[in-house]
This record gives sequence, structure tokens and C-alpha cells, in this order.
Amino acid sequence: MNSSEMISASFTLVLPEVFLSVGAMALLMLGVFRGDRATRLVSWLAVFLLFVAGVAVLQGPELRTLAFGGSFVVDPFGQFVKILMLIGVALCLIMSMNFIREEKFERFEFPVLIVLASLGMSMMISANDLISLYMGVELQSLSLYVLAAFNRDSLRSSEAGMKYFVLGALSSGLLLYGCSLIYGFTGTTNFDVLRETLIPGGLSIGLIFGLVFLLAGLAFKVSAVPFHMWTPDVYEGAPTPITALFSAAPKIAAMALLVRVLIWPFTDVALSAVPEWRQIIVALAMLSMVLGAFAAIGQSNIKRLMAYSSIGHMGFVLLGLAAGTQEGVRGVLVYLTIYLVMTVGVFACILSMRRREGMVEDIEELAGLSRNHPLMAFALMVLMFSLAGIPPLAGFFAKFYVLVAAVHEGLYTLAIVGVLASVVSAYYYLRIVKIMYFDEPAEPFLSPIGGEIRLILGASSLFLLFYVVFAFPLLGVTDLVARSLF
Amino acid sequence: MLYKLIVLLPVIGALIGGLLGRWIGHRGAEIITSSLLVLSAILSCVAFYQVAIAGQGPEEAITFFRWFDVGAFEADWALRIDTLTVVMMVVVTGVSSLVHIYSIGYMSHDPHRARFFSYLSLFTFAMLALVTADNLLQMFFGWEGVGLASYLLIGFWYKKPSANAAAIKAFLVNRVGDFGFAIGIMAIFFVFDAVDFDTIFAKAPELAGTNFLFLGQSVDVLTTICLLLFVGAMGKSAQIFLHTWLPDAMEGPTPVSALIHAATMVTAGVFLVCRMSYLFEYAPDALYVVTLVGAVTAFFAASVALVQNDIKRVIAYSTCSQLGYMFFAAGLGAYDAAMFHLFTHAFFKALLFLCAGSVIHGMSDEQDMRNMGGLFKYLPWTGMLMIIGTLSITGVGIPHTLIGFSGFVSKDAIIEGAYAVGTPIGGFAFWIGLIAAAMTAFYSWRLIFMTFFGRPRAPIDIMSHVHESPATMMIPLLVLAFGAIFAGIALQSLFIGSASEGFWGDALLVLGSTGHEVVEAAEQGAHDLPNWVVLGPFVVMLLGLTWAAYWYLKRPDIPERIAANRGLLYLFLLNKWYFDEIYDFLFVRPAKRLGRFLWKRGDGWLIDGFGPDGVAALVLGTTRRAIKLQTGYIYHYAFAMLIGVAAAATYLYVKAVGAL
Amino acid sequence: MIIHAITFYTFATVILVSGFMVIAARNPVHSVLFLILAFFNGAGLFVLLGAEFLAMILVIVYVGAVAVLFLFVVMMLDIDFTQMREGFLHYLPVGALVGLVVLVELVLVVGQASVDLSAVVHAAHPTPDLSVRSNTAALGDFLYTDFVYFFQAAGLILLVAMIGAIVLTLRHRPGVRRQVIADQVGRKREEGVEIVSVKPGQGL
Repeated sequence: MNSSEMISASFTLVLPEVFLSVGAMALLMLGVFRGDRATRLVSWLAVFLLFVAGVAVLQGPELRTLAFGGSFVVDPFGQFVKILMLIGVALCLIMSMNFIREEKFERFEFPVLIVLASLGMSMMISANDLISLYMGVELQSLSLYVLAAFNRDSLRSSEAGMKYFVLGALSSGLLLYGCSLIYGFTGTTNFDVLRETLIPGGLSIGLIFGLVFLLAGLAFKVSAVPFHMWTPDVYEGAPTPITALFSAAPKIAAMALLVRVLIWPFTDVALSAVPEWRQIIVALAMLSMVLGAFAAIGQSNIKRLMAYSSIGHMGFVLLGLAAGTQEGVRGVLVYLTIYLVMTVGVFACILSMRRREGMVEDIEELAGLSRNHPLMAFALMVLMFSLAGIPPLAGFFAKFYVLVAAVHEGLYTLAIVGVLASVVSAYYYLRIVKIMYFDEPAEPFLSPIGGEIRLILGASSLFLLFYVVFAFPLLGVTDLVARSLF
Repeated sequence: MLYKLIVLLPVIGALIGGLLGRWIGHRGAEIITSSLLVLSAILSCVAFYQVAIAGQGPEEAITFFRWFDVGAFEADWALRIDTLTVVMMVVVTGVSSLVHIYSIGYMSHDPHRARFFSYLSLFTFAMLALVTADNLLQMFFGWEGVGLASYLLIGFWYKKPSANAAAIKAFLVNRVGDFGFAIGIMAIFFVFDAVDFDTIFAKAPELAGTNFLFLGQSVDVLTTICLLLFVGAMGKSAQIFLHTWLPDAMEGPTPVSALIHAATMVTAGVFLVCRMSYLFEYAPDALYVVTLVGAVTAFFAASVALVQNDIKRVIAYSTCSQLGYMFFAAGLGAYDAAMFHLFTHAFFKALLFLCAGSVIHGMSDEQDMRNMGGLFKYLPWTGMLMIIGTLSITGVGIPHTLIGFSGFVSKDAIIEGAYAVGTPIGGFAFWIGLIAAAMTAFYSWRLIFMTFFGRPRAPIDIMSHVHESPATMMIPLLVLAFGAIFAGIALQSLFIGSASEGFWGDALLVLGSTGHEVVEAAEQGAHDLPNWVVLGPFVVMLLGLTWAAYWYLKRPDIPERIAANRGLLYLFLLNKWYFDEIYDFLFVRPAKRLGRFLWKRGDGWLIDGFGPDGVAALVLGTTRRAIKLQTGYIYHYAFAMLIGVAAAATYLYVKAVGAL
Repeated sequence: MIIHAITFYTFATVILVSGFMVIAARNPVHSVLFLILAFFNGAGLFVLLGAEFLAMILVIVYVGAVAVLFLFVVMMLDIDFTQMREGFLHYLPVGALVGLVVLVELVLVVGQASVDLSAVVHAAHPTPDLSVRSNTAALGDFLYTDFVYFFQAAGLILLVAMIGAIVLTLRHRPGVRRQVIADQVGRKREEGVEIVSVKPGQGL
């Protein structure tokens, strides 16, 4: 096979990404020629595009296959996470349509940038090389910087974009520095080659340094403490659907990337020795869980609260990763799935907090929701209970799997900290329930809520409520998927 | 089916009255509960005839369903139908139905009547569950059930602090007794491996005389068990040391006092001892204690009743005293006499209470006898009926015959029986009984004279409002008066006379020549009792009557002077032998101090401080600090990231260097 | 060979010094100029490595476009940098400490490590000799074959950057007159001029 044949074979493997990139450019053209009036059309076409990409992902090879000389990998793990990510992006896109119209920044670049961001995430998920890792991260981040600042007439939105951009640049710097150290000490950027060269000898100190910097850059993307500082400010400032997107899709993609980077080249599965990176991940997980639990208590803005909530949840996901076993990765996948559903559901609720004078974001505005909008209140209650991890809701099982995985690896302290953090965090989730059900009603929100948001809210709370039904198929799939990394 | 209906009708009434009271209204609740109770009472009479007279009772217990089945621990929900049961059934449903009807009139001004009637029916159900129990567990259910109903009814006027306090006191004092009872049940299960009566009774003879070691002492098993059960009986039947709750329980509405604290619930202890006669008979030491406690109570309570001024408290202490009679009768083996007195006592004591209620009702809720007097011409019917009740309780009748009021027949049987037993304890009981009878006559007539005769001591405006009670209150009184007069004569032969053998059947067990046979013999005139013994109760009764008449009709200044002088004996009696004060000092205050200590220091300081409050404060403090980290400045954020990287790198570097 | 080394160290030193000056200079214009100096020396290093294409690109793109753009921005925006730096001294000790720690560790780590020459064998594409194929052509060989994925991805990143710049900054202000050349060219005399016959002494 000569090189051009190889390249065309590679292109068939990256079909989802090709669809996304070519589609994004086509939508851009459509938008340029039709103007901002076409935004709604472009949005729906973008959703369709994401759907097509999803189908293409599912059509991919069942076994681990490399493309472009090993810099791009297609495997069940990547496929599963890509599907999750595409669902998350699509749902956020759907939820954003009415929002951007009402907030008067309905511009066709919005869906196009979201598609490009999802392309970046897809590249991150499939990255099998430090360069493609960096490319994916940058493509994703750059799109998100712009999206965060998209409502350029709003000071908070611009500030959010600015902060995200500057700190993101710093994290990229750290990431690149780590990459260069790794390259310098091994002479390769390819994960497969790294795996072969590293595993027999263990990691040298220089390599560990590289790994630290690399992890710092990735930890920024999953907003693990202490690389989380941007999260609350950006979540609060960014347009709400974008906040929803932030807390769902990029977290999933970055976490998948983190898992792949740490498990594939840097874990000696055969020797079952404690990997060198575990200390870092344990520290990140602990700090994230604790800070996510404590800092959220003092928040009055629900988007900020969700920022800390997502920090805490990422801590739990890292807890699964810290185990570093197949069981741990399975826990991570289940957690990400359930986390996606919960996050999207909560943001569907937040997007329904609409008054005549505009969107409101204060937690106090939910007062007495049970009387004004009983169904919405019930759905939000289910979501909060699930986020708090109360059985038999899905959130409980999510935490359960990662905790079990951690305990099996002897990470008792971490598991105990996790449980305690979960207890503390239950306080603020339940506080929202208390406000909804027991406080004097505030002014009701504008109704009717958009049909698509209602659908998302209902579906997500039903999933969480009846998770037990989905538990076994999900466990089976994630088990298979996790196996592909080992 | 008949028996099941008797037990279930009241609970149906209670549920309807309690849950649906709001929809069917007060009138509806009154009518439904009362008519169900009346129906239950009629069925009880049928059952009484079938079981006790015709001897056609069911052979085996009637099982509803299995309640517990844990290893050897089995208990059914079942009805044990024998003479003992049906006697109690008649008493309970009879008095209860009359009290229901009476309450329609008595409680007519109360805004929560539906709740009241529901409680009454609930009590009746629990009492029936107690008396029909086939095993100790079901009995304990009924035991606690009547305790609950009693608590609810004493505290029925929950806005009155004294009523609440009395309700709590009743509950707590009963807890002491119930604790003994519960331990007794556990001991029985431990020893017998069963809680149902048939098994226990069948095994009792084998275990007689066996011992076990306790603190190095060899203790008789059955005696221990019986004493534990008796502690329960003491609590429920307000025997001395555990009696303090009964006078206070008079804070409840008067019909409640009549039903629960005179006729039925307080007799549960007597019933328990009679029911467990198969055990007690093998534990003579326990019987000795029963006799002693009963006799002392009879004396103590009567002595206190001499000087009380609250009309209901006098009757309450009288109840206490009469229960003492029943206990020492049972303790001497005269279970049948005890049950007979229980039966007749239900009539005249309920009558007295309801009459007192009628007086109180007429006097606009005045209960102090010092503010009464001369009421006979205002309340002639009530007065007449109350005098009948008094004649009955004091035991008016013709000695050497069986003609007399109910109280005469049953009480004299007990006193004479006590003499006839011939043992020292029997003699003790006899003399105590005699003295108590004199005092009974005194305080009973004192009550009548102070209330109905002499000059009116109430203010004019109250006297002008004094009125006879409505028919719904008078009709039950007439029925009870009928019982108070004739129950003794009519049923004497069945309970303790010639026909008693067939009447009781297997329900009671008596070993050897104890009181039972003696009483029987005495009543048939076959036994040679000295003449003075037979005449004794009658004479002391007359003595008490005369004394009371002299003091309270002729020379009311004498008792007033005694009261004014506040002599030691007078104060001793007025303050009920200082039981409440001693208990307050010995138990209540230390317990309160301990409770306060545990509350303030243990709970408030230790647990709350280091538990919920401390943790909450810690969490909030941590939260404040965590939020302060979020300054909003980019360079702070960047710093955090760099410090994070540096820390991680340093940690791993040091670790790696250390490993080299 | 010694000249080679001298040149390398000269370039490297100048890069480090000017890099430090970029952040240390008080005048922002000086900062940008130091940046340009750093770029030039970087280009020199590339030349030393025989990567003349990268050297030229660095000069043309970074010096010619990026840095000059920076210079324009700095000069056009009237920002008081001294005010922005007020907190600098305040954070200097902590910052210096963190920096120092990392630096020391890096020096220790990198100094300890011997560069593994055998690692070079992992390099899939050694630079071809200049006499065989020029740098530019060699880069092109790989960029459009083995590295096509990275190349395309980089293109997409640039696309996003472009879109972002437009989205965040381009404003169509109402009421601003724009030159539309097509309209200007397509105008007829009749549309542009109206002939009014004015009667003398009356005006309009």
C-alpha cells in the first residue's frame, strides 16, 4: 500500500470528523450567504450534522484501528465517548436556539462554532499522539473561548471569554511544555510508541515532570482543583446554553483524553504496579471533591453553583480514574454518562427560569416552584437528588461504581473523602429542593417553557428516576468499552 | 363470629369516629360508637349466657391470624373464651356502653366529642383484646393499648396543663409496672419456651419448686415470674407504691374516670392474677406478697380517702382501696371472690363516679366538696342514686343471709373468707379488711353528707344554676343502680356459691384448702364461722356511718376544727402519706437533674456541639474560606495553577529522589 | 565547530535576555521590540540547525506580521501599563519562589538526564540533506502526506480563529455610510443630477 492509499484509508476512518469539518464549512457558507436570518436553519442543520456524525461513529470499526500513521485512533472507548459528547453537544445546541433569539444574539456563527468545537472534542477523544492531542485541545478551546464571549454586548460574557482565553492560553502553555519534555525524553510523540518504550523501564524523573505539566494542562480542561479557578467565573458569565455545553461536552472529551493518556501509554497493566501518576490524580480528585462540595454551599447564582457542582463531580470521575483499573475506567464511563444526563437536565431547568424582564439565575428565584410549576419542580428535585447521589437515582450508582473501583485498589482515604464530600454537597442540592418546596413562592416563570426544553427535562429526570432499568445494558456496554483500553 | 364481633365492633367504632369524625359530625360519631358498643354489650350478655351458664363455650381459642412466628416464639391473634373472659366482657362492654351513652349528655358542650368517643371505643377494644387474649403477647398488646387510651383520655383536655401532667404521670408510673410485666413475659418465654396460656398452664406443675441462681442466691423460678407479673398488675391496678397516678388521673373527664379508672382498666391487674392462677398457685410466696400488698393498699387508700376534699379523689382512693380487697382475696386463693367483687364493684363504683359527674355537671364543674352541701333538693335523682351506690359500697345487707346490696355480698365474702383461711396472713388481711370497711363507711357517707346535706356552701349564683342532668345521663345511672342493688343477690350463687364449680369451669385453678373453698363453705353456712366475724363488717359499717353522720350532720364544726388545727395525722393523710413528695425527692428530681444534665451537657454541648452544630459551623467556615479563594483576578487564578504544578512536580521529584 | 558553538551560545543568551526583558521592560513598546529581537535570534538558531525555511517564516510571519501588529496595538491603545503592574511587586516573592522551585527542579532533572541519542531512531523523518532536497520541499513532502491530519487540523484552528475574530469584533453600525463601489459605478447621470430651472430673483 503506498502512502496515498494509506491516507485515503485513513480518511475513511475519520469519517465523522470529516463530516463535521466539511459540514461546518458548508454551514458557514450557508450562513454567510443567507445572513443571520438563517440561524435557526443552520442550527437545525448543525444538529442533523451531529446526528450524521454520530451515525458515522457507530459505523466505525469494532476493533482498535489506527489512522494517519498512528496519530489518530478509532476504538470502542473513543466511539462510546464520542457518542456521549455528540449527544451532549446536540442537546445544548437544541436548548440554545430559543435562548439566543430572546437574548438577541442570534447569529449563524453560533451553531457553526459549536460544530467546530465538537470537532475539536472528537479529535481530542481520538488523539493517539501528543500533537493531535494538542490540535484537538486547541480547536476545541478556541471555539469555546469565542462562544463564552459570544454575547459581546454583555460585559460579563466578554469578561468570561477573556478570562477563559488567558487562562486557557496558560494551560496550553503548560500542556505544550509537558509535551515537549516528554518528546525530549523519549523522542516520540506517538502514544503507541510511548507505550512500548516506557512500560518496560518505568518513568524517569524527567518524564514524570513532563507528565505533570501535561496533566496540569488537561486538568484545566476538566476543571480539577487547583486548575479550576476559571470555572465559576466563566460559567456565570457565559451565555447559559454555552455554560451547559461547557459543563457537559468538553468535560467528557477532556476526561476521555485524560483517561487515554494515562492508561494507554503510562500504565503498566501487565505488571499491575502502582502507576506514577496516581498520586497526582488522587490529589486532584480529593481537592476537587472537597472544594466542589464546600464552595458550592455559599453560592447564590445557580450557574456558579453548577460550576462548583461540576468541579465536585469531576473529582469523583477522577476518583474512578485514580483506580487505574478496568473497573475504574468503567466507573468513569458510567459516571460521565449519568453526569451528562444530570447536567443537561439541570440546565434545561435553568433555561426555563425566564421572567418577563429576562433570564434569572438566582437560586432564590426558584422559591415555591412546586406551586407555580409542579412538574418542573419535581423534575428538578429528581435531578438534585440524583446529583446528591441519593439512591435509587442514577447519581447514586455513578458514585457507587467509582467508589467501589477505588476501594478495590486500596484507595480508602480517597473513598472516604469522597463519601464525606458527597454528604456535604448533599446540603446544597437539598437546599434547592427545600427552596422549591417550602419557601414562599416567588413570581412564576414565563410559561409555556419551550417544548424541546420540556422534553429534555422530562427525559433526563425519567432516566435518572428509572436508571435501574438502564443499569444493566449500560454496565454491559461500558464494560466492553473499558476493556478496549487495556 | 359472635366473639369476634364483640371485640371488633368497638374498634370499628373507634376508627369511624376517629378518622371520619370530621365528615359524620359529632352527632354521627356519638351515635355510631354508642350503638356499636351497645350491640357489643348485648352480644357479650349472649356470650356470658352461652359460656358461663349454658356451658357451651368454644373448646379452643378462636384464631384470627398468626401474629408472630420466629423460631419457638409463636403467637396467634386469638380469642380465649372462658368464664373469666366473658365475665370481663360483660363488665367491660356493659359499663363502656353505659358510659358512652352517659357521655353524650356529659360531653355535650365539648367541641371535640368525636375524638372523645373514638378514644372511648379504642379503649374498649384494647380492654377486650386484653381480656380475650390467648397468649401473653396479645395480653401485653391490650395492656399497652388501654394504657395508651388512658393516657389519651386523661389528657383529653390537652389545653389544661394539669391534665397533661396527670396523663404523663399515669403513663410513666404505668411504665414501671409494664416494665415488670414485660420482663415477666420474657422470663416466661425463657422458661416455658412459649407465650400461649395452654402451654404455660400445662407446664407449670412441672416447674413448681425449680430454682435458679441470681446474684448467688437461689431463687424460685415461678415465684420470680409471678412477682414480675404482679408488678405489672400493681401498676395497672394502682396498688400501693404504684398508685400515685390514679388520683391524678381524675383530671380526665368524669365518664373516663368511671369507665377506665374505676370499672375496667384498673381491674386488669386483678384479672391478670386470676388469669395466671395456674402459675400463682404454684408460687405461694408470690401469693403471700399479693395478699400483703392488697391488704396494705386497702388500708392505706381508705385512710387517705378519709380527709380528701375533691369529690372525685375520694372515689379514686376508694377504688384503690377496693382493688386492694380484690388483690388480697386473690392472694388468699379466693380468685372467684376477687372476680365477684370486681364484677359488683364495677357497677357501684361506676355508679358513684357517674353520679359524681352528674353533681359536677350540675355544679358547673365544681369538684371541691367544701363548696357543696345541701344539694339533695336540687338533685334528688342523683342524690338517690348516689346513696344507693354508697349503700352498696359500704356493704349494707342483713348478716347471716345473702340479702343485701351487691357490695355487701361480695365484700363480706372476702372479709369472711380471709378469716376462714386461718393462716396468719389471712388473719392480717381480715383485720385490715375490717378496719378498711369501717373507714369505707366513714368516707363514703362523709361524701354523701358533705355533698347533699347540711347547709349549702356554694355561692348563690352557682346554686341558682344547679340542675338535674339530662335523660341520657340519668338512664345509664338507673341501669347501674339496678346492678348495684341486685347483682350481688342474683349472681352470688354462680360466682362464689353452690353453682360456682360449674360456672368457672377450668378458668381458675385453686390448690388445697384455700380461701375459695372456705368462702364457698361459709356462704352455704356449712362452715362454722364465729358470729362476730359474720357480724363484724356490718357493725363496723354502722360505726363508720354513725361517726360520719355525727361529725358532718350534727357537729360539722368538729371536722372543720380538725382541718384547721392541721394535726400531724391529718396532714399525713391529707398529703396521701407523702408518697408524691417522697417520689418527687427520690426519683423525679434526680431524674430531672440527670435529664437536664444529659440534655444540656450531653446533647446540647457534646453531641450538638461536636455533631450537627459543630459540623455545620465547620462547613460554613470552610465554605467562606473556599469562596474567598475565588477573587476574580486572572493572575490569582494563574498563580493557583502554577503553584499546583510546582507542588505536584516538587512532590513527585522528592519522592523519586527518595526512591533512588 | 567552535564558531558554531559560539554562535549558538550567543543566540541563546540573547534570546533569554530579551525574553526576560519582554516582561521586565517598563515601556511596552520596548517589550515588543525585545520580542522582535528574540524572534530574530530564534531565527538564527533555526539557521544554525539548517532549517532555513523555518527561520525565514519566523522572520516574515512573527517579526513582519505578528510583532508589528503588537506594536501597533500597543501604540494605539492608551493603556497605562504601570498601573496594571502595581501588584507586581506584591506578588513577586511568591511568584519568584514558585518559579525558582520549578527552575531548580528542572535544572536538576534535565541536568541529570543524559540525552538519549538512541531516541533519535524514533524520529520517523530525519531531515534530508540540503543537497538532495530543499528544506521547504522536504517539509511539504511530509506536511501533505504523513502529517496531513495535523495540517488540516491546524487549518481548522485558523478557521476558528478567523471566525472568532469576526464574530467578536465586526460590527455593522447603523447610520454609518459605506462605500459601495458597484453602486457608484452603476449610477446613471439621471440618478445623480437633477436639473431644476430656477426663475431668476425667486430662489428655490
